[in-house]
Amino acid sequence: MNTWFKSGSPWIWLSAGGVSISLISVLGLLWLIASRGLSYFWPADIYQFEMQDQKGNKSTVIGEIYDRERIPVEQLAHLKLKLDPAQESIERLLVKTGNRELVSLDFRWLISPQIVKTSTPEELVVIERRTNGNAYGYIEEVILDGKSVGLEKLHELVDRVSRFQEQIEELQKVDIGAINYQIERLRLKERKHKLDGTLTDIVAQGIANEVAELKEEYRQLEQQLLALRQDVSRDKLVMRAMDGQRLNINFEHILEVTYSNQLSVFGKLGVFFSQITSFLVDDPREANTEGGVFPAIFGTVLMVLLMTVIVSPLGVVAAIYLHEYAGNNALTKLLRIAVINLAGVPSIVYGVFGLGFFVYMVGGSLDQLFYPETLPSPTFGTPGVLWSAITLAILTLPVVIVSTEEGLARIPSAMRHGSLALGATKAETLWRIILPIASPAIMTGIILAIARAAGEVAPLMLVGVVKMAPNLPLDGNFPFLHLDRKFMHLGFHIYDVGFQSPNVEAARPLVYATALLLVSIIVVLNMTAVSIRNRLREKYRMLEH
Amino acid sequence: MISVTPKASLDNESRIDLNNLAPEQVALDVKNLNLYYGEKQALQNITMSIPKGQVTAFIGPSGCGKSTLLRCINRMNDLVDSCRIEGEINLHGENIYERHVDVAALRRKVGMVFQRPNPFPKSIYENVVYGLRITGNNNRRMLDEAVEKSLRSAALWDEVKDRLHESALGLSGGQQQRLVIARAIAIEPEVLLLDEPTSALDPISTLTIEELINDLKKQFTVVIVTHNMQQAARVSDQTAFMYMGDLIEYSDTNTLFTTPSKKKTEDYITGRYG
Repeated sequence: MNTWFKSGSPWIWLSAGGVSISLISVLGLLWLIASRGLSYFWPADIYQFEMQDQKGNKSTVIGEIYDRERIPVEQLAHLKLKLDPAQESIERLLVKTGNRELVSLDFRWLISPQIVKTSTPEELVVIERRTNGNAYGYIEEVILDGKSVGLEKLHELVDRVSRFQEQIEELQKVDIGAINYQIERLRLKERKHKLDGTLTDIVAQGIANEVAELKEEYRQLEQQLLALRQDVSRDKLVMRAMDGQRLNINFEHILEVTYSNQLSVFGKLGVFFSQITSFLVDDPREANTEGGVFPAIFGTVLMVLLMTVIVSPLGVVAAIYLHEYAGNNALTKLLRIAVINLAGVPSIVYGVFGLGFFVYMVGGSLDQLFYPETLPSPTFGTPGVLWSAITLAILTLPVVIVSTEEGLARIPSAMRHGSLALGATKAETLWRIILPIASPAIMTGIILAIARAAGEVAPLMLVGVVKMAPNLPLDGNFPFLHLDRKFMHLGFHIYDVGFQSPNVEAARPLVYATALLLVSIIVVLNMTAVSIRNRLREKYRMLEH
Repeated sequence: MISVTPKASLDNESRIDLNNLAPEQVALDVKNLNLYYGEKQALQNITMSIPKGQVTAFIGPSGCGKSTLLRCINRMNDLVDSCRIEGEINLHGENIYERHVDVAALRRKVGMVFQRPNPFPKSIYENVVYGLRITGNNNRRMLDEAVEKSLRSAALWDEVKDRLHESALGLSGGQQQRLVIARAIAIEPEVLLLDEPTSALDPISTLTIEELINDLKKQFTVVIVTHNMQQAARVSDQTAFMYMGDLIEYSDTNTLFTTPSKKKTEDYITGRYG
């Protein structure tokens, strides 16, 4: 026993055990998020439950099963159910019934003892809609332009409508959006002239002409829009809901019609992947509880990239100063202490700092100097993607500085001396020899910075993230990258959907799905950076003497 | 006496009188050089003239200050914070320790090769042209010519001409040291300083480099530091013996190794202390 201890084996087992536990925890977490998140997209069967309560009242409930639970009998004692005395717990099902305009609650708990019959009829259909969530029931009629037609026309009509909707969306967002943007810019231009005192009649007339042209274009586009809207609202269908009520659903509101119970495994896989795709590329609906998260993905990635562009040169230059140029005096010691303490500041404090300093002070001054015509409505004096990127850059700065310094310290002085002996200055040596050799270490710093920044939500809530952004920071209108715009962020989206949404039960799977997405995006960003670093390592590998 | 044939006894034309050098024969003039590392004095009042186009060796036991003196010539001691210098070293009659001297330009005129080969983690080609690129010379043809010329002078061309763009770190120790020499001579300095260039190499590479030094002196003034007396006797024209920061004896190699005038020198070369 003693020899086993002395041989060092226990320590190896201990460290291997530690690593294994960490690995299992990480994989376990990923599996948990993945299974709960991905189940959101898998098309569930639609059930029809025949219920009978204590008084003998019969009812029908149609919907998807979301969850099953066993609860102690005592909790439902008030219902006076006839049960086996030995039974300790009752099962209950959480069923999503949809049909928000007919029932007050989307979700309902059904108690198993009250369920008389469960079936999955093939004609049951789930209709995904633009407003009011899903609708479940039987389709009775399809009305094309006032006349009743056969059910086989259903998919053709749904496709037709979605094509029109795409056109409408493009018209609204891109074309009309561009015109509105131009008109706004002209208004600001006029105001600027007025403030500068250069608003002559000629200038004013010129602007007025341009505005008139744009308004004319707008009128034409509006006509097109009206025509499309009419086309789209031509058809409708009639659906029979679970309590026998009839629901008229206009095709304008329909996104998808799916006969879930008729799908084969392949069919279900198809729906699964198309749901995931629309999750990734669509805009959110219904106060972020439905639809896709594309603006959040875009905002997160854009902000992380901006932050990287800001923090890399700052951090590297600071590390070079500290390592190469700073003297061995009290000021340098103070600087190092400051850098280390930066890493310990809570992130929400960074948010407050960013708000006070960048948004109000710097942004306010920028507005006064460069955008006086937009005042009192602020351009940069308000939270936006630029201030978010800068705030997170400062948050992750110590990591980059420490990594880069480590990398610089590892370079043998023989390299430096060799370069200096050839007549290079210190700066040339740094740029041509030292920095390239230190580049893997710099990449490590950047990887750590990305990993930390992509997950920070608290400071962003103060300096630029919103629940719903009207447009993306990057679009087709000059100057294309709008750094003053607010943006959406996946981390904030998770918080918003999980805690602030009107229907927490409906939102829970969405929380898992978004969390899985956020983790995946961070992993992809990290893997990209790691592969770049590995290539740099190979290039500058030095033989160890 | 040591069993070695001093090189100088083999060719007589290179004999010059060290005490009576004409100004155009002098490459470097060291005058009353004192060097302090903080409080400790490492070099005591060194005065010597290093002749042009010859190989001068500094020998002495470990810690005698020969490498320190060598590093003074291209001001590499400036990199040590605690180092303080009194006296002067004149290159072409101008003191290199004047305040206005451009150190980078000085180092282009006085090249150095270190004890352990230190090629950059770049290709062989890029290593050799490094000094040329620094001076702004980026003309592809000129660089190609310079590379071939330097590598030939360093006796490395035949071995690497087919793999100029491969990493320099793939070369053997002896090849790396010759590459470093090629890198140093590519910028055509006037003086070449060699700090124990073969102490980390095997005997065959050592021999190759010693032959190289004999060729190099046709183009440059060479100053070599070595702890290997036999090497000094083989390659140098003049030898300076140093002990504990003092210049004990400085004369042509033949005289120093056969009839040294100071007892300390004789004790050292006969191996009484190391």
